[in-house]
This record gives sequence, C-alpha cells and structure tokens, in this order.
Amino acid sequence: MASDKKAIKEKNTKEPKESATILTAEALAKEFKEHSVAEFFKKNMQMLGLYGKVRMLTTIVHEYVTNSLDACEEAGILPEIEVKIEELGPEYYLVTVRDNGPGLTKETVGKALAQLLAGTKFHRLIQMRGQQGMGASGCTMLSQMTTGKAIKIISGTGKGKAFACELAIDPKKNEPKVYNLKDIDRDFRGLMVQARFKGVLYKESLMGPLEYLRRTAIANPHAKIIFRSPKGERIVFNRTTTYMPKLPKPMKPHPAGATVDDIITLSQVTKAQKVSSFLKSEFDRIGDTTIERLQKLVNFDLNKDPKKLTWQEAEAIINAFKQIKFIAPSTEGLIPIGEERIKKSLESIVQPEHVCTLTRPAKVYAGGYPFQVEVGIAYGGKAGIVSEEGSDEESKKNNVLDVMEEQNQGVKVEIMRFANRAPLLFDAGSCAMTKAVHSIDWKRYGIKDLENIPLTIFINFLSVHVPYTGAGKQAVADEDEIMEELRLALMMCARKTAHYISAKRAQIERKMKRDIFYRYIPEVADALSKITKKEKEKLIKKLEQLVLTKLKIEDKEEEDKNAKKVEEEGEEDYEEEE
Amino acid sequence: MKKKSKEIEKHKKHDESQSTKSMKRMEKEGPKEIADHIKKIAMDIVNDIEAGKNPRFETKLRGRGNVLFDEDLGIIKLGDKSSTRTFLNIAHARKFMQTMLIMAQTHEYLTHGKTASIREIYYELKHTVGKTGENTFEDQRESDAAIVDLEHSIDTIREKLNVHANPKGTLYGDITLIDRAHHNDTFNCLKLGRGGWSIMSRMEPNEIEIKSVNADYVLVIETSAMYERLVEEDFARKNKAILIGTGGQAARGTRRLIHRLNVEYKLPVYVFTDGDPYGWYIYSVIKQGSMALAAHSRLLACPDAKYIGMTIQDIKDYKLQNVTEKMKPMDLKRAKELMSYDWFQNKPWQEELKMAMEQKVRIEQQALANRSLEFVATEYLPTKIKNKIFLP
Repeated sequence: MASDKKAIKEKNTKEPKESATILTAEALAKEFKEHSVAEFFKKNMQMLGLYGKVRMLTTIVHEYVTNSLDACEEAGILPEIEVKIEELGPEYYLVTVRDNGPGLTKETVGKALAQLLAGTKFHRLIQMRGQQGMGASGCTMLSQMTTGKAIKIISGTGKGKAFACELAIDPKKNEPKVYNLKDIDRDFRGLMVQARFKGVLYKESLMGPLEYLRRTAIANPHAKIIFRSPKGERIVFNRTTTYMPKLPKPMKPHPAGATVDDIITLSQVTKAQKVSSFLKSEFDRIGDTTIERLQKLVNFDLNKDPKKLTWQEAEAIINAFKQIKFIAPSTEGLIPIGEERIKKSLESIVQPEHVCTLTRPAKVYAGGYPFQVEVGIAYGGKAGIVSEEGSDEESKKNNVLDVMEEQNQGVKVEIMRFANRAPLLFDAGSCAMTKAVHSIDWKRYGIKDLENIPLTIFINFLSVHVPYTGAGKQAVADEDEIMEELRLALMMCARKTAHYISAKRAQIERKMKRDIFYRYIPEVADALSKITKKEKEKLIKKLEQLVLTKLKIEDKEEEDKNAKKVEEEGEEDYEEEE
Repeated sequence: MKKKSKEIEKHKKHDESQSTKSMKRMEKEGPKEIADHIKKIAMDIVNDIEAGKNPRFETKLRGRGNVLFDEDLGIIKLGDKSSTRTFLNIAHARKFMQTMLIMAQTHEYLTHGKTASIREIYYELKHTVGKTGENTFEDQRESDAAIVDLEHSIDTIREKLNVHANPKGTLYGDITLIDRAHHNDTFNCLKLGRGGWSIMSRMEPNEIEIKSVNADYVLVIETSAMYERLVEEDFARKNKAILIGTGGQAARGTRRLIHRLNVEYKLPVYVFTDGDPYGWYIYSVIKQGSMALAAHSRLLACPDAKYIGMTIQDIKDYKLQNVTEKMKPMDLKRAKELMSYDWFQNKPWQEELKMAMEQKVRIEQQALANRSLEFVATEYLPTKIKNKIFLP
C-alpha cells in the first residue's frame, strides 16, 4: 500500500503533530506531544468511526480496501483486492486483505501501518477516498488494543525479494514496532495485511462489510474485488472496465473558501519570503492584480515574512478575500467515474432491467470548493432492497392500473451514497444526497412510491473537500449549491428512467388487457353461439383479432401521449437549472 | 327534476303516444317476443364481430341523473339517456361478458319454458374463467347487476325474462286465479283459509291469469299484523275488498299484481301503512314507482292509488295522542327528503309531512287497537273509504 506516500508527504506538507505547535506555546506543545496521539485515539474511538460492533468491522475493511485502491491507482495497476473475514470466536475475527499493488518497503511499512496520523492526505486538497476514518494504523491500534496481538504483513514490490513481518504501535511514542522481519523466497507482488479484532461483529446487513465491498465495486469498476465471508462463501465482483481513472492532481485552496486557519497553517510551511508570493504560490487564482487589490484592503505590508503573520492579519486577508471576485476554482482535481462506466458497473453488480446515468459538470460550493455530482438510476430486476415491512395486502387489490406496484411488492428504493467513490453506509438521514432524493417529486417520473419500487439510486459526490456533517464522515452537508446540483442531476436522470417505466407500464398493461379480453372471449363467444347458433370457434378467432387490433392502436396513442408529457416536464427541469 | 318535468312538457304529445305504445307493447310481450328480442341483440353483436367492429349493446343509463317524474303519467320513469356497453373497453369487458351469459341463459329459459330465481341463475352460470381463479360472477350482486343490464337493454322486467326474486306478499279476497304455468290450477283466494295466497314473483298474465274478481277495491296493507287483523275481522267479505299484505316494502310481484288489478280490472287501490316516513315511502313506491326500478314503473306503478292512513290528522281525529311514537333524527331526515321529491309536491302531502315534522310524531297502524281490536275494521277504514278521506 502507498509506497510512495513518504515522498509526496515530504514535498507537500509536514507532520501534523508538529503543525499543532503553531497556535500554542512551544512548552505546551511538548507536553501535548507527551500525551500521545495513540492515547488520544484510545479515548476518542467514536470520533474515528469506531463505534458499533458491525460498523467497526466495516470501517476496518474500508481502511484497508481504500489504501489498496489508492496504492494501486497511484502505481498504475488495475486493482485486484481480496478480503477475507474469518470468525475465530464470539465477536472475534481475523481480517485478511490482499492486493496486487506496489507493496511497501521495509522502510515504509512501519510508518504506513503502525504510526497514527502519518497519512499523506491530511493537508492536501486532492480528491481521494481516504479522507475519513482512522487509517490503517488505527486498525493496527485497534487490533492491538482488543487482542494484544501484532498484525501480520507480507509485502512484495515485484522487484527483489518479498518480506514478511509483524507490526505493532508503541502507544506512548506513536512509533512502529517491527517483529520477526524476514525475507520470503517466492514471487509476491502487493501487500497482504492480516489483523485480529475483538468486540466487532460480522453481519450481512446494509451496513456490513459485504455491502460495503459491493458498493465499492460499483463505484470502482476498474477494480476486481473478491470477498470470502465468515460463512465460507466466495463472492466475486468482477471489473467491468480496464480503464484506469486518471490520478487526481493536488489542488491549491481557492481563496473564496479559505479560512484564517488555512492561512496561518500554510504560512508556517511555505518557502516564500513574502506574504504576497506566499499567497500567489499557495492559493489558486491569485495573481499580481489580486495582490495589488489586496494591498489596498489590508493595513499591513504584504511584503512581510509570512512566518510572522499574526492571526489578526490573516483575518484581515480573509476579510479582504470576501470583497474580491475570484475566478472559479479549477476543477482539474475532480475525477468522475463517467456515465458509461457507472452504467456498466450497475448493470453488472445490481443487475437491474434498466440503468441510466449522468455525470454533471463540476460546480463550486461555498465560493471556493469545486465539486461534481454523478447519478445513476437502476430500475427493475434486482434493483432496490427488500423492504422489511413486507407486502401490504391492501394495495394488492386487483386494479388494472396498479399492476406495476403489484409486481414491486416487498422491494423499496436503495440509495447508494459515495463520496469520492468511497461508499457512505452510515448517517444516511442527515446526508444531502438522501435529502435530495426525498425532496424530488418522483410521481412526476412515474414513480408513485419510493417505498414500493425496485429502484437503486447511485450518487457519487466528488470534491477535493467533501463537507461532511460530522466526525464520522458519513454524511455530506446540505449546502445550497450541493442540494441544487444533486436535485438537478437526479431529476435529469429520473426523466430518462420515466421514459423506460412508462414504456414498460404500457407493455405490462397491454399484456394484462389482452389477457383479460382473451379470458372473456370464450365465454362471450359461447353465449352468443348458444343464442344465434353461429359457430363458436369462428367467433373466438374474430374476437381475438379485434382485441389485437384495438391494443395496437391504444399503444400508439399511449406512446405519443407519454413522449409529449415527458418533453413538457423536461422543459420545466431546465428552467430550474437557470 | 323540476326542470326535467318542464322538458317533458315540451315533448308532451310525442312522449305520451310513445309511452302508451311502449306500455302496451310491454304489457303484451310474452316469452316468445322477449326471446326474439334477445336473439336480435345477439345477432347485432355477432354482426359487429364479423364486420370487425367493437361488439356493443345499448342499455339505459340508470341512477338519479336519468330518473325523472312524469307528471302526466304520474310515475317515476327513466329518461332517454342511454349508454353503450362495448366489449373492447377494459372497464366494460367483464360486465359485457356477464351480460352475454345472462342473455344466453334467459334465452334458454324462455325457449324451454323454464324459470329460475336470481339466486339460481347465479349458481347456474358461476364458473371459473381462464387459469386465474377468476369467476364469471364473484357474488350474486354481479349477476343481479347483469340482469338489470339486460332488463334495461330490452326494456322489460326480469319476470318476463323468466327470472325472479324472492317472493313476498299475501293475497286474500274474492278473486279467482289460474296458474297457467302449473297444471292450470284454478282457485279462489277467499277459499284458501286465513293464510290467503302467497303472491309469486312472476305475476305475468301468461303465468297467473286473473279469471274473475268480485270486489270494489284493493286494500294494500303494510304490516302483516294489520293484514291478519283484517282477515280475522272478515273485512274482505264484509266490504267486498281485496286484501294485499306487503309485509313492509312491496316486492316486485306484489306491485305487479296491484298494478294489474288497477289497470286490468280498474279497481281503486287504497294503501294503508304506518304513519311514518317509511310507510309513506312504501305508498309512494306503489303509486309512482321507485328510482331503482324507474324503467319498470309502467308495469309496476299505480298512479291513481290513494293513501288511506295512518295520517297525523288521525291522531287528533281518533284521539290517539297517547299512543304515538317519537320521530327519531333519521325519521326527520327522511321526512325532509320526502318533502323534496317531485311526487310529493302537492298541498295535502306537504301539509302532512310538515305536521309530522313539527310534532315530531309518528303513528303505527296497530295504534288503532287502542280504541278496540275491531275498531280499524268496523269504524276507521269503512268511514274513510265511504267519505273518501284520502291523501292523494
């Protein structure tokens, strides 16, 4: 995993624990350091998503799989990841994750897997999955805390010998401890991590590891994911594309979204000698013109050393930023999955009857953060999730026009949320994506009841800075621009689905009608033949012909009507966009 | 409905001749004519099918929207609005099929001289269609509705289709009937003991022939208890009256018999019910017909029937103040409704209903026993009939 993390890290930023010294006195900082990060971790597990027995196991799988995917992509390798969970005892599991990535070296393995907050993504504005949770080192910590055991590693870079070792964290120093390091004499490329956990629980629920992997596979169609469940089942999610997503570029922060803290933090690490050059080099869309304007708005010299910038001065800069109109941020950092690939992926994994997908152009929220929305709506087939309430006998009552609902008994909408391709399984209620789905008048799109329809809604929210609502990082905040964009994407996609549903509805109704007529024809023919002595068989044939002709005409009319209706609705949607 | 009455006014002459003609035709139509009529409808449908047209038949539109009161004839009747039932309409298909089954079955009855109750025809025709477990008729209401469809389609009553509902009603008096459908049994209804004769559902002339009647009028009585009282008092013999007990709302057969005695034998018809909205409604159905059977009023109604009692005035006249009953809210509501009907728009009835509503009282037939058991037979009825104290 992440073999080249170290290099990037040195280039871009510094150790976060050191950056904590900026705001406090040196002495205090030292004392703070003594109070180890690992200790802090132990006391604040819930902040890192580590609460709930089922949720914890899912988070563990998430950390490893995310690292594997990132590592493979950075190395340009199509990921193949195998996750195996074995039950060792009650609430006691062995988790093994193996990938075909670049592997780690003996030098990097400790930092990557046994040092907390040693990650590289923390201070980079880059669209990456692993912005959340506790990192793989957190898993090491958790394993150690619950079982007292070190984790086992096998790593191979593909060049030279592979090696195996065991890893633990020294919680006082937050430093890796390596045991039993030895070379292995066989071909091995990639990384295998094996860790034990107690106090967690495997469940095949909507929040369990299997669902997590299923969704990961959907949002990462270039990855092959294999899962071996504690029951011994082997589930394979095959890749549906060999297209490697482009590597996201790190982005400079856009001034409109910057905070005082951002300025202070970045000013401490910059190589620039003046505040003006510091701002130009560290922020997006700041050039000489902006600096000139800025100088007129602040009452200190922008030529001063950025390292001596005070909080008040930084605040003045931020206030000045608000009066300047900046060019919207560059959206280069956003790497969408793509409409076609989402479609293929949903078709392969969800297996619906019909899928339509949409990737919207990038937009900006809160003035400075670029984001992008991708939506997929899968209808029919195996789409949707089994509704726990079961089927409602009342609504089953025969009604020709409710034929679709009757077929949909016991299945309801499934909303799959992703942030930068990583599935969000928790806190659905407070997430903008869920809210957007429920804010739409689905009836307009031929969907009467979300609680009663085989529908899977896929939403991928892309941003270099995902505005999560809480520390659990499982829900996206409902910023106005985000809600608007989500709604628009959903509506545009829903319209395509509406086409399909109405066509299908017509088809089912046509068949239903035909069946009804055909059922009655022998009775009618028999009665008429009894009275008039005409031949019954001839009457039946003639009546059947009549029915078919009649239904053909009706279909045509229905189609024309629907086409017109959807067209009209479409116009409304576009109006909203303006 | 007022407006509709005016419309009728306009087309009065045309309408009158039309009505009389069709009334005569309906009276006369026998099993053969009805069977031919059914066959004609079936042939039309077959012709439609063979011509590649949507099979259809016409039936009259029912319901309040097409019911009107014909002031000239004094009956409730169905308007001209008709509706077309087509097979190739998903909403009609099942009903269409059901009506076809009823058509074929009644055609069979008529050509083979069979008759059946509406329950029997339901069971005869009930079977599953296709493989869905669907039945031709899920319950009797469906077959009943199909019978009504056919009645309206060929403009006749079910009795003429050789189908009938449950019989109800009793006949007592000097009248001789011949049961043409059953050994030509001939009997006089004064000689059948106190039970009298059970009126049948089908009272068509071709089945039950009235051989002779020796009476001055027909007295229709709502309650069985009053009917029995009058038989016991030998009222029929002493007053040359035909007694007909309806036992509540009059059944179709009973209404048909009253109609025939009124039309064929020109006997006056006096109706004797409880003095309450239910009783008054029973009277109005006998006189003008009902909304549900608006199409058949011409065969069932007796427009010149008279109401003999009980009236609110009777309470005062016969000192029955201490044997009245209180009107319940439902009664009041019903009375108010009656007041608004076109056929109650005459002074005596409006006053009667107004009085009842003001005093909030109702009076039962049996209340007359407060005077004496025989009072009704010796005093009340003879005096009223002699002095023609009726409500119209």
